[in-house]
Amino acid sequence: MAKCKSCVVLPFLIGLVASIVLGWWGFPKVLYSQKTQPIRFDHVVHVEDQAMACEDCHAFREDGSFTGLPTNANCVGCHEDVQGEDPEEARYVTEYVQQEKEVDWLAYQTQPDNVYFSHIAHKELECTSCHPDVAKMKTPPVYYENRLSGYSKDTMKMWQCEECHAKTGASNACFVCHK
Amino acid sequence: MGIDRRSFISLVAGGVAGSLFTPVIWKSLDDVSIWTQNWPWIPRLQYGEEAKVPALCKLGADAYGIKVKTVAGRPVAAEGDADHPLSLGGICPLGAASVHMLYSPSRVKNPKLKDGSSFKDISWEEAEDLLAGKLKEAGAGVAMISGDETGSVTDVLAGLVGKAGSDKTFLMPGESAPAAAALAMIGGDGQVGYDIENASYVLLLGADALGSWGNVARNGKAFGASREKGVKFVYAGPAQNGTSAVCDSWVPCVPGTEAVLALGLAAVISAGGRDRASWPGYADFAKFVQSAYAPEKVSEITGVSVDVIKGLAQELVRTGRPLVLTAAGAGQGLGAFEMAAGMSLNLLLERVNTVGGVRILPWSPKVVESAPEKKALLTADLVGYLTSIADGATEAPALLMVHAANPAYAMPNLAKAQAAIDKAGFVVSFSPFMDETAAMADLIMPDCYAFERLDDAYSPYGSGQPNYTVAGAVIKPVYDTKPAGDVILSVAAKAGLELGFETFEDVVKAKAEALGADFDAMVEGAPWLGEEFPAQDLALWATPLKEMPVAAKDGKSLALAPVAQLKVGSAKIAIPPFNTNAIRFDEMLGKDMYVLMNGATAKNLGVKKDDAVKLSAAAGECKARVRIFEGVMNDTVVAPLGFGHTAWDDFSRGKGDNVYKLLAAEAEGETGLSRFATARVTVSKA
Repeated sequence: MAKCKSCVVLPFLIGLVASIVLGWWGFPKVLYSQKTQPIRFDHVVHVEDQAMACEDCHAFREDGSFTGLPTNANCVGCHEDVQGEDPEEARYVTEYVQQEKEVDWLAYQTQPDNVYFSHIAHKELECTSCHPDVAKMKTPPVYYENRLSGYSKDTMKMWQCEECHAKTGASNACFVCHK
Repeated sequence: MGIDRRSFISLVAGGVAGSLFTPVIWKSLDDVSIWTQNWPWIPRLQYGEEAKVPALCKLGADAYGIKVKTVAGRPVAAEGDADHPLSLGGICPLGAASVHMLYSPSRVKNPKLKDGSSFKDISWEEAEDLLAGKLKEAGAGVAMISGDETGSVTDVLAGLVGKAGSDKTFLMPGESAPAAAALAMIGGDGQVGYDIENASYVLLLGADALGSWGNVARNGKAFGASREKGVKFVYAGPAQNGTSAVCDSWVPCVPGTEAVLALGLAAVISAGGRDRASWPGYADFAKFVQSAYAPEKVSEITGVSVDVIKGLAQELVRTGRPLVLTAAGAGQGLGAFEMAAGMSLNLLLERVNTVGGVRILPWSPKVVESAPEKKALLTADLVGYLTSIADGATEAPALLMVHAANPAYAMPNLAKAQAAIDKAGFVVSFSPFMDETAAMADLIMPDCYAFERLDDAYSPYGSGQPNYTVAGAVIKPVYDTKPAGDVILSVAAKAGLELGFETFEDVVKAKAEALGADFDAMVEGAPWLGEEFPAQDLALWATPLKEMPVAAKDGKSLALAPVAQLKVGSAKIAIPPFNTNAIRFDEMLGKDMYVLMNGATAKNLGVKKDDAVKLSAAAGECKARVRIFEGVMNDTVVAPLGFGHTAWDDFSRGKGDNVYKLLAAEAEGETGLSRFATARVTVSKA
């Protein structure tokens, strides 16, 4: 009878543990593909060495909309020609600026089209409340793309928006985000 | 310990239980729900800086400034340009749909050469070399057709034909040509315009001014402003339409007889009161109209009662600044004599070349030396030329080049126009779209779409003030297309027929300089406005006076009133995909279009609502369904232009029938121009 108990309990526990391990460790590896930015953009060089502010590239337009990721038009002011010795900068200049081709930057937090997100309404928050602190990174973080949904792993879910709105007293009415 | 059945089940049960404490199930369900919304055909928003870029809309007969809204440099919508004098913030249905035509499935995406019954793709170099070779071979046997009255590309193309030694340069039918000829009949010289904003009474004789005629957006704005100023708008035409619906009054008038009404009004006005004996040509004119166009006779022809004729005449005389606009209901096909009837009425009212009246604008400056003057270009009658080729009376051109025009669809005597194009030795189309003419062409060298190239427009017909607009490209070419102006200049050079310009931009700059306009400012959205109106030495009808031909009523046939509706396209453009939803249930039944007639007419014909009918005229036949509409005069059938395409795309092909097939042109002996505004048709059950 004791033998029978171990025949039941032990396999159950093994299955339970293996499933939990696979679910938390293996499943994300299967679910997300890993991508790197088309150009290894070095924020440290720009922020620390060139003393640039975040707003120099990620600014609000006059109409209050947010520029998001900069285009070549922002970059050519300095990078019309190669400035330094970083081979990635040289690649950017030759493959994008000189070819008049925009870089398909991977956006870590892009919301679906049915969500209206206004950066200027959230300007009192620190950028790093929602975004990774890339200003201290010489290499952009890996971009994890959900193979099923197609969105970034870091895309904020609705419950996260609602939680913050609830905590700060902001409205959670549908039309606040879904116009 | 071995794995038996019980152990295996326990292992699986443990695995399942464990999975409930992981994100596998919950996350997968969530992601799958998102995945189900990721259909490839769902459009994705493109985010970026929003801007409004000045552009030109030339999809209809008008040419006016609009603003194209862009996001991250990509056009997404169009709206009126409040700073443009021909828009004033308004936009026409074609302008509203213009951005979407960039991606129309009917776009020709690269040069194509006819290969049997289909086309094969060729490179631009091959296409240019081929055309240059054909130009050399054709010599003076070259001809051109343009549907762009206002742009300098027409000057360049006409210049090439002229340089080759040919005078076969033609514009598509419109109202500029009969208007210019009409002006010449009263001794004037210039481009005809209408100062509708400053008129205090506007009589629209057939002119669908608020729907499809002239500077539609500008007309609408002027009408809107008139409501506060107490300006009266009166529309005379065969059926209620968008214009008559909002005008102060509608005067039902048999189609094609609006000019007779004009002379009837002239007869009443000249018979009363004022001494005009000293006016040049007045005595003969007054005598003629009073004898040939007495109110009773005019009433019989037009269907307008004598009292209404006299009432309108009184209103015109008593109002301070009346303006009479004479036009065909469909915006084309009016004869010069008919146009001159309205012009003479304006002259009788002292409303020519004055504020709030008919304005005479200077002709567009000539910058391409070998091109004909605009005035001369308007005297060349395309309908007569193509008909003559089809009849074998004129030799077909060895090389025919077609720009911004679709003569294989939008011409009277349509079968003959198509036959003439078929007879041409080699046909080149510069159309950005696979229209009916491009489908017949031997070579297609697709022009860039309006927002992909530099373009210009000098004072489109109807402008009350000289104006010149230049618009740069809003976006780079979406497909492998090139601006026709540059292609023609390049081909001309290859053929040894240099026109004096290396690029089309040089041509536009030369025109701007000739006008004293600032090219750079215009590209930024500031159109040039002229202040000078050439002095005129006018007389009441300088050419021999004669009665206008009016189609006789025979008791069996109906008067055809073709109407243009910009929402379903124009002579240049088929139904824009964006506008298909604007076609109402009472305008199409399945793939059949409706024609309109009133209940009494339908009863006489023995047809009822939704009956399939055949409209037959001397020129051809059309199929349609019957819609009963009491806003149509007796013995009249209203038929929409813009349907019945055989090329283009699924949004327009095979929908309805082409009413141009019913229109037969007749030549005016004195001017050589063709008139085809209306026709007599018989209607029978199909």
